[in-house]
Amino acid sequence: MAATGDESAVMDSICKAPAPPTDLQLTAEPEPEHEHEQEHRRDDATENPKAKRPSTNNDGGVETAEEATEPAEPDINELCRDMFDKMSVFLQGELTATCEDYKLLENMNKLTSLKYMEMKDISINISRNLQDLNQKYASLQPYLDQINQIEEQVTALEQAAYKLDTYSKKLEAKFKKLEKR
Amino acid sequence: MASSETQPRFGQSVKGLLSDKVTSCSGDVIALTRQVLKGSRSQELLSQAARNMVIQEDAILHSEDSLRKMSIITTHLQYQQEAIQKNVEHSKNLQDQLKHLMKQ
Repeated sequence: MAATGDESAVMDSICKAPAPPTDLQLTAEPEPEHEHEQEHRRDDATENPKAKRPSTNNDGGVETAEEATEPAEPDINELCRDMFDKMSVFLQGELTATCEDYKLLENMNKLTSLKYMEMKDISINISRNLQDLNQKYASLQPYLDQINQIEEQVTALEQAAYKLDTYSKKLEAKFKKLEKR
Repeated sequence: MASSETQPRFGQSVKGLLSDKVTSCSGDVIALTRQVLKGSRSQELLSQAARNMVIQEDAILHSEDSLRKMSIITTHLQYQQEAIQKNVEHSKNLQDQLKHLMKQ
């Protein structure tokens, strides 16, 4: 019974909430939460080259400890600059891909337009030559009509020659008949 | 939310949180850039345009070939016309002779 009584006293002492802070207590005995806030402020504000060693404070049976921080690197600026440079290079590369596509299309369009200009020149030459040819063939039309007339006359001459040939054959046959008599 | 994320969590240092934040920000910028490029659909449209141009190239070359052949044919027609012109000038004498023969 006595042991349980002692144990209950110990448990009570452990479970008791700490007393509310007073001014005297704040200045003399800073609480662990306040210590952590101060540490974060120090870390954010300054770069302590020296590592803070974890220290322990015994305050009425409650142990407190400070956070161990790494020393700030001296070339953090260089690293930041390097990071932003590489980011900008990456973003430029992402945008350059689309630019290159546009340049490719532009070059293809330029070559196609050159091709079409050559074809236009060729077609202009062809149309000019065909117009000249049409005019020359139009000027040849009377000669072609003459050729048609010549053909008709030659046909008529041929018919006359056939008739003459037939007549001469008939005449020869009659002559031979008369000669036999 | 942001303030709660920036508060030191159990087991994490401020420096670690800062580096995580920087990493997430850079990842967000990259994702934003990619989303902007993807949303503009420029890659699809430009590649489709290039593909169509390549398909058209065959037709353009065929057209050019046809035009060149047409120009050659036109040149041959000119040669033939000159030869006809030269020979047709004799037809007048021929016609006169034929008229003379027919009269007889």
